[in-house]
Amino acid sequence: MAETKAQKISAKVWEENAVPRHRIQWCPGCGDFGVLAALKMALTKLEITPYELLIVTGIGCSGQIRNYLNGNGFHGTHGGPLAYALGAKMVNPELKVISMGGDGDTFAIGVENFVHVCRRDPEIMHVVMDNGVYGLTKGQHSPTHGRGMGLEVFSEEAPPPFSPLRLALTAGATFVAQSFSGDPKHAAEIYVQALQHKGFAMVNDFSPCVTYNKFNTYDWYREHVEEIPADHDPSDLNAAWDLLNDFDRRGRLPLGIIYRNPRNKKAFRRAPIWPQELADADVRPLLRLFA
Amino acid sequence: MIVNNLKLLVGGVQLRDGVVTMTDVLGRIMTRAGLYVLAMERGYASTIYGAHQFDPMRITETPPLSWGDREVDVLIALDYDSNPDAAPQPNRDTVLRHGRELRDGGVLIYDSSTGEIDAGELERRGIKVFPVPARTVARDELKRDVVKNIVMVGALFRVLDFDPAGTYFRTLIEERFLRKGQQTVDINIRAAQRGRELVESILQAKGWTDVGYRLEPRPLREPLLLISGNEALSIGAIKAGCRFYAGYPITPASAILEFMEEHLPKYGGRALQGQNERESIRAAIGAALAGVRSMVGTSGPGLSLKSEEFGVSGMTETPVVIVDTQRAGPSTGMPTKSEQGDLYLSVFGGHSEVPRIVLAPATQEECYTLMMEAHELADKYQCPVFFLTDLNLSEGRKAVPESFFLSQKARIDRSTLVTEEDLRRDGAYRRFAVTPSGISPRLLPGTPGAVFKASGSEHDERGFVSTDPLVRKAQVDKRLRKLQTYLKEDGRPPQVFGKVEGRPVLIGWGSTRPVILEAQQRLQARGIEAAVVHFTHLWPFPTEAAKPLLEQANTVICIEQNFTGQFAEVVQAHCLVPVRRILKYNGVPLYPSEIAEGVEAILRQGVSTVRITDGPVPVKVSEGD
Repeated sequence: MAETKAQKISAKVWEENAVPRHRIQWCPGCGDFGVLAALKMALTKLEITPYELLIVTGIGCSGQIRNYLNGNGFHGTHGGPLAYALGAKMVNPELKVISMGGDGDTFAIGVENFVHVCRRDPEIMHVVMDNGVYGLTKGQHSPTHGRGMGLEVFSEEAPPPFSPLRLALTAGATFVAQSFSGDPKHAAEIYVQALQHKGFAMVNDFSPCVTYNKFNTYDWYREHVEEIPADHDPSDLNAAWDLLNDFDRRGRLPLGIIYRNPRNKKAFRRAPIWPQELADADVRPLLRLFA
Repeated sequence: MIVNNLKLLVGGVQLRDGVVTMTDVLGRIMTRAGLYVLAMERGYASTIYGAHQFDPMRITETPPLSWGDREVDVLIALDYDSNPDAAPQPNRDTVLRHGRELRDGGVLIYDSSTGEIDAGELERRGIKVFPVPARTVARDELKRDVVKNIVMVGALFRVLDFDPAGTYFRTLIEERFLRKGQQTVDINIRAAQRGRELVESILQAKGWTDVGYRLEPRPLREPLLLISGNEALSIGAIKAGCRFYAGYPITPASAILEFMEEHLPKYGGRALQGQNERESIRAAIGAALAGVRSMVGTSGPGLSLKSEEFGVSGMTETPVVIVDTQRAGPSTGMPTKSEQGDLYLSVFGGHSEVPRIVLAPATQEECYTLMMEAHELADKYQCPVFFLTDLNLSEGRKAVPESFFLSQKARIDRSTLVTEEDLRRDGAYRRFAVTPSGISPRLLPGTPGAVFKASGSEHDERGFVSTDPLVRKAQVDKRLRKLQTYLKEDGRPPQVFGKVEGRPVLIGWGSTRPVILEAQQRLQARGIEAAVVHFTHLWPFPTEAAKPLLEQANTVICIEQNFTGQFAEVVQAHCLVPVRRILKYNGVPLYPSEIAEGVEAILRQGVSTVRITDGPVPVKVSEGD
């Protein structure tokens, strides 16, 4: 590992072992390109090697991101990435585990995993590529659909959107941030901090769907996003709630780190893997329980 | 006088009377005294408090073939005031329910604290009745209500003329309670002593010198362990290198989770109580992805929820061992009753076609050995391996010599994992390389020199998503080819007991083997020579081994605990022989006599399917289970 670490991690490293750029299946202009660019910037800055990286993704357009950059990648079920990531991180804390999901993955089918991963607080960065729709199945509503729309459009069939940041805070997440893929440089800075966080880090990234979400466009986001004031204290939970309320009142969307308060956690060791580590398992003490 | 061969049954009110504590104490003392104990057809209810609970236990000098029939020799009724409406024997649920099962000439010991029962009918059947006011003694004399079951232990030991010096009893009680203080030990010893005295006075009053049954300690050549299927398979998994376990609480699999949470960290591993069934299996897949041998345990309803991930494991070729401790019924069914109803879900469950291996142990010993094999197979074939036990086997306890466990070696072959050296030597790495065996080299994240891309979507050899027809065909062929390799290299033919040619053949799978073998003996005594063919390796079905065997049989009869005969269908489809069925699905375990009668009905009357029912219960008993 040390030998590889010494090699200069350049942005180009992330192009290897990946689908070539011209075969990327996202629509031209898709917000996910911004997320990909930001992710590469952050990984390069932190000099993470592709070998120590495990990227777990969900289903849909967002789920394809693992094929578009170097690193170990796993693509399981819709709503599942956080639970796979949890298992991997529990047995091998040396891995850099990143989970990438869409808003459906995280807040609809996968909400059961999301809520409890916030409580469990494993050292995983989870990026939500939030576009308000299910893109790959051609534009159905997602839980964050309708952000910024007038209330009259909502009915029982299409309820109003909910706030990912509030859910994360309520569930006990220790790092809650928001970024915009239209500004990859800023997003990359947030990812860097999320990757350095000693605990579960959730980043909600506005990643516009240019094909199906004609309302929350790049322009719409540019008009509505606003960086969190420099004097905001992210370690103060009450300040985080006040900030969300304040931005809501003003009809603005905060970008930046809303809450960051790592718990004092016990470090775990990697579980035994290799035959020599497992060979001398002496089960006699367990058998004696039944004598 | 029958020495060292009896079946006893302890009954009482769940959570109140200490039925399980009593049988645990008895079981441990008997195994320490060198006697074989088999306690497998436990009865309890999905309520926490108040329902009727019973725990039968067979105690023998040599290892028993099975738990035997329903009849019991000694009945111990711990309940004293339950079911007040049931005339003419008030307050005696256990007596009402199990009195019929008591053999003529047997023994009944009951708690007479709230009055004596009308024992005339029982005495006419030669049953020796011992009214012991255990609860009154415990509460009024010893001021400790909970020791009433220990009063009964003392009473039972006197009845069976066992441990007169109280050495076995004292040792166990000190081990158990010394940390709670000498006073607790003394109260328990006095409780047992009072039980002895009460029986002594009855024996004298009635002029009985013996009751027909006796237990004698045997010289102990080696320690016997009283172990359940759940415990045996958990230790087997640890021995096999399993270092991650995830589960969601569900009867009867929760015991595995509790065991693993307590003990896995001592071996460097970790256990997770998932927030739901899906998180459990996903986390297990994630742990396996990181390279750790990993396992989940659940029961039928949980297996349904997990079925989405069968495909993920099969498609991404991530090994996982899935324990299903089957219980009765679809939906939530009967959580505390046993069945063999999940074969279809294990073999065919999940959408499209998933390569998988399905194993089913028959005994507590096999829970241990087959579990080691399960992890080995999962690792080698990189697919889900199902491990089908059931409530009877999982929670049933059996005395097994410790040396049996110590003599089993685990094989931890991780040669399908590629190392840094392999990567340097071989150059380009392809996670899903098409190989003649269907097994591709597996890379763990963190290995310098290469990365893997795994996907549940169809993918090419490198793991990139692809719908190219040629790629699709090559990958499907590759994945399913593993099963052919498995059959060639690791598949096991069924175990055959007796001569098959021209004879009736009794087929079984999983935990029913002991009862089927005992039924075979009963049939032999009645002049019917039958063979038993028993499967532990269920899927992929070993057609090449089974078909020529079954074609020689005169009649093939499959015995299962389900309605349709799930395994019978599988055998019939693969071997092209008609399979007759003996089926039981009322939640009560199979008994050898029922199987023997079913076989006779099939052979003599030519019926194709026998569905076993227990006779109606003629007495009014309390509700709640």
